Amino acid sequence: MLRRRAAAISVLAVLSAAFATGCSAPGADQESSGDNSGPIKIALVDAQSGQLSSLGAWELKGARLAIDEWNAAGGIDGRQIQLGVFDDQGDPTVGTNLARKIDSEGYIAMIGTAESAVTIAMAPILKQAQIPNITSGQSPGLVAVGSEFLFLNGPTSTTYDETLARHVVDDQGVRSIAMISNNGGYGKGEHDAFLKALRSRGVTPVADQVVTTDQKDFSAALTGIRQKNPKVIFLGAEEVESGLIVKQARDLGITATFVGAAPQGTPVFIDTAGARNAEGTIVSSPYLSNEINDASKKFAAAYRKKFNEEAELHGAKAYDGTQILLTALKTSNVATGKDLAEAIRATRYQGLLGAFAFDKTGVGIFETSIGTIQSGKLVAAS
Amino acid sequence: MRSRLALIALIAVAAWLLPYGLDSYAIHVVNVILIFAILATGLGLAMGIAGQVNLAQVAFFGVGAYVTAILTTRAGLGFWVSALLAVAATVAIGLVVGTPALRVQSHYLGIVTLGLALAFTNWVTNAEITGGAEGISAIPVPVLPGVDLSSEYLYYYLELIVLALALGFGLFVVRTGLGRRMRAMRDDSLAAGSLGAEVPLLRMTAFLLASVYGGVGGVLYAGLIRYVAPESFGIANMFLLLAMVIIGGRQSLIGCVVGAVSLALVREALVDHPTIAQVAYGTVVVLVVVFAPTGLAGLPARARVLRQRRRGRQGAAPRLGPFTPYEPTAAPPDQATTMLRVAEVTMRFRGLKALDRVSLTVDRGEIRGVVGPNGSGKTTLFNVISGLYRPTGGRVEFRGRDMTGSTPYRLARAGMSRTFQNLRLFGDLTVEENVLVALDRSRTLSSWRYLLGPVGILRRDRELHRQARAVLDRYGLADFAGLPPKSLPYGIQRRVEIARAVAAAPSLLLLDEPAAGLNGEEVRQLSDIVRAIRDSGVTVIVIEHNMGLVMSLCERITVLAGGRVIAEGEPAQVARTPAVIEAYLGDSMSSDDLPSVPEVTR
Amino acid sequence: MQVFLQTIVGGVSLGAVYALVALGFSLVYRTMGLVNFAHGNVVTVGAYLASTFYLSTKLPFALAMVIAIALTGAIGLVIERVLRPLENRDFDLMLIGTIGFGIVLDALIIMIWGATGRAVPSPVPSAPLDLFGLRIRTYDLVVLAIAAVATVLLVLFLSRTKRGAAMQAVAMDHEAATAVGIHVGHSNAVAFMIGGGLAALAGGLVGPLLYVSPALGGALGIKGFAAAILGGFGSIPGAIVGGLAIGILDSFTAGHFQGYSELVTFLVFTVIIMVRPTGVFGERTVNRA
Repeated sequence: MLRRRAAAISVLAVLSAAFATGCSAPGADQESSGDNSGPIKIALVDAQSGQLSSLGAWELKGARLAIDEWNAAGGIDGRQIQLGVFDDQGDPTVGTNLARKIDSEGYIAMIGTAESAVTIAMAPILKQAQIPNITSGQSPGLVAVGSEFLFLNGPTSTTYDETLARHVVDDQGVRSIAMISNNGGYGKGEHDAFLKALRSRGVTPVADQVVTTDQKDFSAALTGIRQKNPKVIFLGAEEVESGLIVKQARDLGITATFVGAAPQGTPVFIDTAGARNAEGTIVSSPYLSNEINDASKKFAAAYRKKFNEEAELHGAKAYDGTQILLTALKTSNVATGKDLAEAIRATRYQGLLGAFAFDKTGVGIFETSIGTIQSGKLVAAS
Repeated sequence: MRSRLALIALIAVAAWLLPYGLDSYAIHVVNVILIFAILATGLGLAMGIAGQVNLAQVAFFGVGAYVTAILTTRAGLGFWVSALLAVAATVAIGLVVGTPALRVQSHYLGIVTLGLALAFTNWVTNAEITGGAEGISAIPVPVLPGVDLSSEYLYYYLELIVLALALGFGLFVVRTGLGRRMRAMRDDSLAAGSLGAEVPLLRMTAFLLASVYGGVGGVLYAGLIRYVAPESFGIANMFLLLAMVIIGGRQSLIGCVVGAVSLALVREALVDHPTIAQVAYGTVVVLVVVFAPTGLAGLPARARVLRQRRRGRQGAAPRLGPFTPYEPTAAPPDQATTMLRVAEVTMRFRGLKALDRVSLTVDRGEIRGVVGPNGSGKTTLFNVISGLYRPTGGRVEFRGRDMTGSTPYRLARAGMSRTFQNLRLFGDLTVEENVLVALDRSRTLSSWRYLLGPVGILRRDRELHRQARAVLDRYGLADFAGLPPKSLPYGIQRRVEIARAVAAAPSLLLLDEPAAGLNGEEVRQLSDIVRAIRDSGVTVIVIEHNMGLVMSLCERITVLAGGRVIAEGEPAQVARTPAVIEAYLGDSMSSDDLPSVPEVTR
Repeated sequence: MQVFLQTIVGGVSLGAVYALVALGFSLVYRTMGLVNFAHGNVVTVGAYLASTFYLSTKLPFALAMVIAIALTGAIGLVIERVLRPLENRDFDLMLIGTIGFGIVLDALIIMIWGATGRAVPSPVPSAPLDLFGLRIRTYDLVVLAIAAVATVLLVLFLSRTKRGAAMQAVAMDHEAATAVGIHVGHSNAVAFMIGGGLAALAGGLVGPLLYVSPALGGALGIKGFAAAILGGFGSIPGAIVGGLAIGILDSFTAGHFQGYSELVTFLVFTVIIMVRPTGVFGERTVNRA
């Protein structure tokens, strides 16, 4: 009896409390409009911890460099630019949390992430919140999202691999090509893009091996490839795994030339594989080295001065993306939401990676260059 | 009671009002935390309550989320239909993952479930239908008439209600027969089996429950985040869940929820320093297992004990009461007079013959003594009779039916009950609950009533409690009802074990050295108790070293030596047999029955 | 045929490392009935320590290994000391305690060495041997030899020395061992220390073969644990056989099922465990209810 009465009281208490708050749904009156004073808040979301944190660290440096340059020059409309750094840990779920966080904290635009899967996860929320996002991802899946608030600061895998296939098949006339790629987000995208590029040229790979992202021993896959004796082997995997594959391939007596996209041009790849094993690797990249032109030399010098290390592709991409965003902010007089997205789309920018002109899908650049690894360094192909 | 209800009401009101004080990001964080709380509750049920090391909880979570995602985006089904199918699919997977538990336990089960969880992540990373490493996006918002669930504030209430239901149902299970049996199995699966708990079914039930909670969590996750990808269901999150359950207190579902909420909040506070957060929660896990094994949930009880110790015990110390004999019943007219027939049973362990063609027949209403030097195979014989060992050769007939190699729980349900040489009480259950486990003969298969007839379950449980009180009163144990058995003196523990065995209403009772460690007075009481049990119509077989007790208590004695029956007959007659005298003289005082073969294993 | 043989060679090379990891698991388990879930993380620490001394202080590889082994042995002692109150009391709690240690070690590794990892050049730079088209890396042979020597030394230690005999006795029956005056705590500590040392041996050796990163030990730990169970948990020959078996199984599933290899490996493992829970060489205590 007592128990029942107490239960009734508690139910009543809950109901009355709900009633007292006016039956209104909570959180209805939270909309904060972008104010026109104080610093301009831009968020950088990237993996600052976990296995992908090296990418995140490079991106942060590139973005920081661009923002510091603008702030030193007086900011935009007299307002300083404030960069908020968020760690997505490479986890899409964390990414979705952060998308809501930057929305609730009033950030008007976002730089990052370097991981396509995280960006894809965040895209619907950012679209709803009308926050433009310039990502460093390159997966064709980013385009498939179809958000008018999503922009890429580099070419997609399709461009990387189309350029690569043109060089290998059309220019060098190689048709005996094997592929090895991993089943992760990046590897899968590379695999599909390169395969498509080959097919369009009427070439069928002699072998098409898929490995897992944390595989350590590739003898089965590589021996299968060795038996087909290809002239060229395409690598669709991140830096470390590609390095391991090349190292083990050379140990197995495979002498074919390796080809790949951006990861195969990095020092991490060359170190893991061993400089001798990586020699001659052909790379398709929008940013081959810091010595390409005056702009890249200037960027590299500033980067070295600020961070005491050599600049590389990811920093350059983030630098370009941030420059484009800041330029758009300036031309639009610090617009937000749809207007800012339109301003970004309208921005024409000559950057480190080339001439940016965004199309409807949010891709702004459609070319990469071919380089080769010579004595442990990536240089432009002759 | 009233203060507890007031507390619940207060928490309910606070939970109901919470969203009014939160911004849009904070409410999202809270929503994610609630999902983890549901997952942790499920893990707590499997690991804390049923003792099944389940490192696949995160995969159950994943199955629920992925199936919802696939059905809504690829097959175009509605959210709630997909959700139902998703939970069903998760249960199917849960039962598959649970199958190894029938064969292996503890760390073996841990690595197998972990392996299967990894296999799941591997599959979703590869398969076309799951969208590979990029996952599935654009899962539609669940539609509820009149409620806009795309608002995270309203979604919160959906989750809150689900969590309350899930937690309530979990607590209901834990505190009634099913949960009691699972906890008994966790503490000692052999003793639970010998009391009629269907251990294999209970283990599957544990995985079933865990997978339901995992599936529900997954569905809510899919509806909240509206995006699924492999990373969210990896090992790191599994260990995080595990830490939540351990820190909160694995044996208490409320503890699991508290653990989930507090750990998630700490992680959120340290969101910009995930490595430090990791060090912190890893350290807390280590500290908790070493210094507070019962977790946060166990702290109030520990504080209470500490306070009591400081203040000194208050009130009268619990005392052992006298045993009240049963009403003697005339032996019921039964079809057979033979209760148990063991025929030519041989038991071999890796070349060692523990039993060599042992035969014996025990009649209804008899008290049979089984004696013999250490290592003569007495306990092995009991283990064969009660189904713990399957004999290498020979037959065991119980009440006229061939039960050779039958499982302990089947034998128990057929009317056999036993005690153990070195006490196997359920350590984390109270004395009363120990007896309740034996009293409760409901089948695990009929657990569907938990969903469809909870009132009947409650009514039955109240009746069982009444019966348990009666049993404890009869054995003079009423004062100890609420205490954990380990806190009691040895002699009282022995009596609890006998009371528990008899509470199972057996027709055959096996007592393995019931007088070991008892003083003279206790032995005399034991003798009275055993006789009274027999007079109530129960046949008794007793292994004993105390020859005085055996001689006075038993009508017939079987003597084992070296795994063979060397004599059988009335006590006085047997004591004069030359072979018996020789066997006993040759016995050196070693300590264990069969040291090279563990009597029963954990 | 050549693919088949080359796959076996690849599997054996990693299998030897799995075997070393499995040895560490088994040694601790047979002595104190505990599964040390932090073992994989200790392997990572060992790999980092060895590579740090080898790369930055330019010590010879062998010397770097010895220092790493000593240091991880000390880590083993710390883990044992902290968890000692739980010894012989609650098996599952202690297991979770080691998981806690694993979580902490994992984070400490990232704090000390960063999240990205490093490549370690092979200390045996000579070219691979070519046997009728079959390529065998010289470093693989070194790894196999060291694994074999370590196993022999371990067996000798357990059978020929007083401390080893005491550990055997504790493994068989810790109560009886206590009764005849053996200090069980010491035996457990030594087991943990040797287990830690074996972790560094495995981690240090695998560094030049793979890539040293915080994720290194996780994968090795799970495979090594599976290997120990497959061979018969607690059995020394079982650890070796199990390690090689998992290595070869891994290698073949990678060849045949490509991306799905992990799924197949663990399904096969689960089926084997269900058919034969005691593994190839059997284990003393296994649940049977």
